[in-house]
Amino acid sequence: MNQKTLKLILSEMKNLLIIILAIAIASCGNSKKKDSDNKKMNIAAAGATFPLPFYNLAFKTYQEKTGNTVTYGGIGSGGGIRSLKDKIVDFGGSDAYLSDAEMQEMPYATVHIPTCMGAVVMAYNMPELKDLKLSGEVVADIYLGKITKWNDAKIQELNPRITLPDKGMTPVYRSDGSGTTFVFSDYLTKVSNDWKENVGTGKSLKWPVGLAAKGNPGVAGTISQTPGAIGYVGSEYAFSLNIPMAQMRNSSGNFIIPNTESISAAAKGEMPADTRTMITNSSAPDAYPISCFTWIILYKEQAYANRTLAQAQATVKLLDWMLSPEAQALTTKVHYSPLPQTAVANAKTLLNSISFEGKQVLK
Amino acid sequence: MSSLRYRTIKDKTFFYTTCFLASLTVIPLFAIIWELIKKGYKQINWSFFTESAPSTLDAMLARNTGDIIPGGIANGITGTLLMVALAAVIAIPIGIMVGIHLSEHPKTKFSNITRFLTDLIQGSPSIVIGIIAYAWIVKPLGSYSALAGSVALSIMMLPLIIRSTEETLKMLPGSLKEAGLALGASYTSVILKVLLPAAFGGLFTGILLAISRVMGETAPLMLTALGSTAVNWDVLKPTSAVPLLIWEFYNDPNLIDMIWSSSLFLLMLILALNIIAKQIAKKWRVQ
Amino acid sequence: MRDLIFKRLLSVCCILILLISAGMIYSLVSGSVPTLSHYGFFQFIGSTEWDPHPDRETYGALSFIVGTLLTSFLALIFCIPFSLPVALFTGEFFRGKKVAVFISSIIDLLAGIPSIVYGLWGFYTFRPIIIELGINSQGFGILTSSIILAIMIIPYASSLSGEFISMVPNELKEAAYSLGATRFEVIKTVTFPSAGSGVFASYILALGRALGETMAVTMLIGNTNNLPGSLADTGNTMASIIANQFGEADGLKLSSLIAIGLLLFLITALINLVAKLVIKKLN
Repeated sequence: MNQKTLKLILSEMKNLLIIILAIAIASCGNSKKKDSDNKKMNIAAAGATFPLPFYNLAFKTYQEKTGNTVTYGGIGSGGGIRSLKDKIVDFGGSDAYLSDAEMQEMPYATVHIPTCMGAVVMAYNMPELKDLKLSGEVVADIYLGKITKWNDAKIQELNPRITLPDKGMTPVYRSDGSGTTFVFSDYLTKVSNDWKENVGTGKSLKWPVGLAAKGNPGVAGTISQTPGAIGYVGSEYAFSLNIPMAQMRNSSGNFIIPNTESISAAAKGEMPADTRTMITNSSAPDAYPISCFTWIILYKEQAYANRTLAQAQATVKLLDWMLSPEAQALTTKVHYSPLPQTAVANAKTLLNSISFEGKQVLK
Repeated sequence: MSSLRYRTIKDKTFFYTTCFLASLTVIPLFAIIWELIKKGYKQINWSFFTESAPSTLDAMLARNTGDIIPGGIANGITGTLLMVALAAVIAIPIGIMVGIHLSEHPKTKFSNITRFLTDLIQGSPSIVIGIIAYAWIVKPLGSYSALAGSVALSIMMLPLIIRSTEETLKMLPGSLKEAGLALGASYTSVILKVLLPAAFGGLFTGILLAISRVMGETAPLMLTALGSTAVNWDVLKPTSAVPLLIWEFYNDPNLIDMIWSSSLFLLMLILALNIIAKQIAKKWRVQ
Repeated sequence: MRDLIFKRLLSVCCILILLISAGMIYSLVSGSVPTLSHYGFFQFIGSTEWDPHPDRETYGALSFIVGTLLTSFLALIFCIPFSLPVALFTGEFFRGKKVAVFISSIIDLLAGIPSIVYGLWGFYTFRPIIIELGINSQGFGILTSSIILAIMIIPYASSLSGEFISMVPNELKEAAYSLGATRFEVIKTVTFPSAGSGVFASYILALGRALGETMAVTMLIGNTNNLPGSLADTGNTMASIIANQFGEADGLKLSSLIAIGLLLFLITALINLVAKLVIKKLN
């Protein structure tokens, strides 16, 4: 009986071991297969939710074209950068470029590849109000808690012909670290001294008033579910939910509707070679003032953390395709704008500088 | 004391108020189920189980044309299965062993400490367990993974299994063990071949309840498994789960319609497990 | 020999529990060290400042501690008028009857509903009511989350306290009845005094549940990092700030979040310990 019991235990353990081994082998087998088989690579990425509609469309098109799958987790720009830092993704998406100090903190040298341009729009939930006009100063006052009512004199001044409702205003902001927040606060810092001194520019901030929601979709959802709410979101999120958005007064004093042309207008001008630039509050007369680039950030030297050459190639090829006219043409379908030629040229140069064990990845 | 009538009225009022308030507590369960069914049944069809979650764009296009959002939650269902199964494989043997030890040596200092720590783990908020699994698995392996999610879930399952094992074994008559030993069977075989089979019903109930408890967990998985847009069976890769998908849908107004069907599915699965577990417990107790 | 191996194996598994707990505490503490040494423990838990701006980075946990305690205690208060009747219903009035079994199994199922589903229900069904009532204009906040939390902890509070109530010896109650006491008087003078500390312990355990709840609260509290000024205000709890910001946190912020995790762990451990001690005293 003893012998039997022991055998029973042993066989149980053996079964368990076999299961564990099987799982381990299955997983190793999978990854090995992927390494040798160039046609089916899986690229893992995470980051900004702002370009997510464009990325979803582009990555899906790319997958149909090449068979390579791209998993992009919309966890916010802050999360994207942190994931890249922790080396758990192939690249991170961000609407805020890394500052020099942040670049120093990354384990290796990074490059920024711009992928498209977009607008951060002021979306609001006040169905009786159409064609609302706002200025940067007023938006700053709303988020500083100085304007709390829809019929505030400052809003009335910008909308002389509209009867504004006597209702409370709830500003909505991002609870997660966000490039959209960075772009938005960068704009407010440029147009409002009060904002500059009390809040400033950043991916996540100390907000004096308001309500927080996760991701661009979360903010859009909260606005659409909350009467009297106003918030800043990537334009596509407002378009897709039919949430009205305000016209913004730009630095030339014109009220501008966010669209492909007015976003592109903001990018006219020089671009630094490393593409790290903000285009908010553009001086162009027909530019939408809260326009921005969005970037994919990756390591310049791809041979890190046991990465394979195949993985590096797949990643860089994908990014190269993102800059192609084919991919850029997709941007307008989801209310983004294609990159200007200078940005594409700079980005191509940067892509060519990416190496694997010192050798250029892109051939 | 006041008059009898006054006292009777007081007594009756108290009784009816209590009954009324107690019956009110039944409402939330049915209200929630009703809401989920009302809003979610339309979305449940074959592709709901066979296709991965749609992207924002697909959902948006479908919304604009008034169609039902394409796709399903296959990536979530498979991810939940994978992670819960792996968590069970980790937690069940350890949990049962510890439970046996505690029931065999109920009074030793070592057992008391173990019991205390088991309670400590059981009381830990799930988000804290998520942090732990992040620190133990995600950080060293350098990737969010199903494994990390399973470890978090298994830590949450352990105390439940330990407790149910100990309680069940305690309830078995001592004569059972003594009879086995008197017949010359070894200690090991008495436990494995007499006690455990006799306690099977109780153990199984405990395991099912533990599984149903972790199946709906979201917070620890957010920090460990992250999510994935495609079906994934690789334990070292990021993986989705039904509750994670619900969280994603919740945060994405284009996918909001999917929320109800996936919640309905998850809730039904969990409630079914609960009811099965209770039925087994009842049957087993009768024997 | 085989028995020895088997017994060893059992002990090893117990040691594993020891290791897991020790590892948990170690990971939490070592993760919190940067923050705690940077600010000092008391400054960290005493400051309401949560400013991630790179130029003036400061992290303090007070707003979240207050948010957690406020929502949990409120939830506890809100749940008493419902969980106590349930406990009396199942443990006293209809003990062992079919209707009691029915009610308690329904309540048990309530405990099985995932937190995130409660959150959804709260968001779509309950939040509009809060707006309608004019408590605040957007429906999120301390009050909203406390009410949903209260529903979530009813099963924990009622099932254990029901058991304690049903354990009150019949002889005691019968003695009171024979003196002509009504049922209400028996409950007041016999049942509650003798089951009191057990009921108390079950409420403490329910409180422990409420403290650690994450998803439902995250979806309903509004996620603002300010000290709530009133019950209608939005806020954040310790669990919800971790859920919101852990994914992207880094450096000092990450360490601060882990420190909040450690605090949460310690608070719930303490609460559970108190409950267990009360129950132990009873036995």
